[in-house]
Amino acid sequence: MSESTYKHTVVARKVLRSLVPVICPARWSHLAEPIIDHMELTFGATPVLVRKGVAAGFLAYDLGALPMHRRRAHQLTGDAAEHYFASWEHGITPAHTQFARAINQLMSLGCYEQPEVMDAIGYHVGPWIEEVTRKRLTVFRDDVRAQEAQILAPDPLRPGVHVGARKKERA
Amino acid sequence: MVAARAVHEGSTRPAGVFTRHDLHGDTVLDCDVVIIGSGAGGSPVAAELAEAGFDVVVVEEGSYYQTRDFTADTSAMVRQLYRDGGASLAIGDPPVMFQEGRVVGGSTVINGGMSWRTPDEILARWRTEAGLDLTPESMDPYFTRVEKRIHVAHNDEAAIGRENWLLKQGADAKGWEIIPNLRNQVHCIGSNRCAFGCPTGAKQSALVSYIPRALHFGARVYADVKVERITMHGKRATGIVGRVTHPDGRRGHALAVRAKLVVAACGAIHTPALLTRSGLTSRSGELGGNLSLHPNVKVVALFDEDVSSWKGVHQAFQVREFVREGIGTFAAVNLPPSVIAMSAPHRGAQLGALMDRYNNMVVAGMLIEDSTTGRVRTIGGRPQAFYNVADRDLATIKRGLERLCDLLFTVGAKKIILPLHHATEVHDADETRRVLSRPIPRSAWEVATVHMMGTTRMGTDRTRSVTDAFGFMHDVDRLLISDASVFPSPIRTNPMETIMALATRSAGYVIDNARRFLS
Repeated sequence: MSESTYKHTVVARKVLRSLVPVICPARWSHLAEPIIDHMELTFGATPVLVRKGVAAGFLAYDLGALPMHRRRAHQLTGDAAEHYFASWEHGITPAHTQFARAINQLMSLGCYEQPEVMDAIGYHVGPWIEEVTRKRLTVFRDDVRAQEAQILAPDPLRPGVHVGARKKERA
Repeated sequence: MVAARAVHEGSTRPAGVFTRHDLHGDTVLDCDVVIIGSGAGGSPVAAELAEAGFDVVVVEEGSYYQTRDFTADTSAMVRQLYRDGGASLAIGDPPVMFQEGRVVGGSTVINGGMSWRTPDEILARWRTEAGLDLTPESMDPYFTRVEKRIHVAHNDEAAIGRENWLLKQGADAKGWEIIPNLRNQVHCIGSNRCAFGCPTGAKQSALVSYIPRALHFGARVYADVKVERITMHGKRATGIVGRVTHPDGRRGHALAVRAKLVVAACGAIHTPALLTRSGLTSRSGELGGNLSLHPNVKVVALFDEDVSSWKGVHQAFQVREFVREGIGTFAAVNLPPSVIAMSAPHRGAQLGALMDRYNNMVVAGMLIEDSTTGRVRTIGGRPQAFYNVADRDLATIKRGLERLCDLLFTVGAKKIILPLHHATEVHDADETRRVLSRPIPRSAWEVATVHMMGTTRMGTDRTRSVTDAFGFMHDVDRLLISDASVFPSPIRTNPMETIMALATRSAGYVIDNARRFLS
């Protein structure tokens, strides 16, 4: 199944890399690139206007650190990165808050979609789906077949009325 | 007739389904009936009319997938099956996040499968307020037919997971009414993935019920085609013009369908936008108005015991104790870890500590019957919903939350995260009451919905309604609306079965008046 061809800007990718230690639990920092790749797919599914807004947001976030930290946001590490992100979370304007919230949400989503992370917290849904699917088609096979047959069986809403015949008559 | 396979068995696309890969140039089709949208409103009309001998074409903006395509990859499913990647938003204070399917089968592919008849008192309200001749008795044949087709039944008890039993124990302990849910499923065995496309084929969404039936009786389905407008000749609808859509947003070849009857079934957000784009208006001024959406909120409760709520059927029970107060239901709803992580206001170490206890979580939600309405406006051809949750409804949400938390604490919850952006956690019922009795800024609430209704409401008075008693648009010839947009009011319960039953009723009306529609 093909997906959108959206790609993060260079600035966005740098900013996101600097935010992985701020948003994701430390033990998952080594998954920064897959998490950022995942966010790329997520952004790709959003409306174009949202994507443009977020791209502008990344630039504003990156440059916004200069007055206070004399560095761009993507160059901040440790406490400085943490404090700068927190300043956006409790932002001067609702736009700051919304941007920080959106990034937090999408990065958290990306983090907990990583197979290694899901495995670590005990969410083994793939094997579970396989197990119950097999069980259903074995134990309830006859009922499943009966429903499939019911779906295709003739059962007109108005018995005796078929407009095909009327159309043929007209023709 | 076209041979169609049961979808989950097939290794190829069924005959009669066409996608962007099949349209190699601009295409013009002729048919009796063109239906825009393949979900709960469109697919029953397609199946019933195709069986009655009408030549039916269904046009769907989303793509065609089969059961085997529904995997454990939550994000991929959201991107492929949901409109706007699941990030649709009604603007308001607080904003309301809403989700709708954009896929063959529509939102039935991503809903929980709750299948309830329209409550009697809602039908009575529609009779009184909208002049509709709808009674439980007159609707019974349509409900019965839908229930047979999509196999509405209680869940197998053995497939009910721990989180649902906790909800039941809690309600029983409080002496509250709790009922087993009715869902469109055949031996749902509890993969708890309803919202991401049922991977077992148990949920009888339109994708595996009405659509195969429509195909079997000769209907054609064109997926990946966004309808730009309904074509008109004077006051008569004559067809549609659409374009192939690609995953990267590119627009492809044009598809025009000339038809004797046009059915719009795009849901309460997109149907009014399509009508507006097509130059249609309603003298009532209500096209796009009257938007209701059953605002709902959820809590995350942490228990000491292992709940593993991803093992078990979705929403096995509904607490109905407070319906008279406008609180529709409480239910336990499993969400994958990524979705919980996304909605949690935590980050860093706090997020890690929370998510390490994923298997101890019960997510429970409630929906309320809204007392206000919003509006869908069409801006640059796209719909934008505007909706402000009423103060009264926020008060109802607070009352409901107090009770829901009380229930969960009764059965052993140690901590509950409230649906507030500033991460409020409560540890017992008293603390919940204290927290909720304080003023809470409107913007702090996290409100969502999947039930959008009412934007082309039915009624006999054309100065107050957009569509007539069967869903035909007033003052327009041969344009039927068949989705939740025709509801005159919110319905207090899950809307799928009502949409399907009204669609079946409308199809019956078309068959009864076939001579008029085929001329």
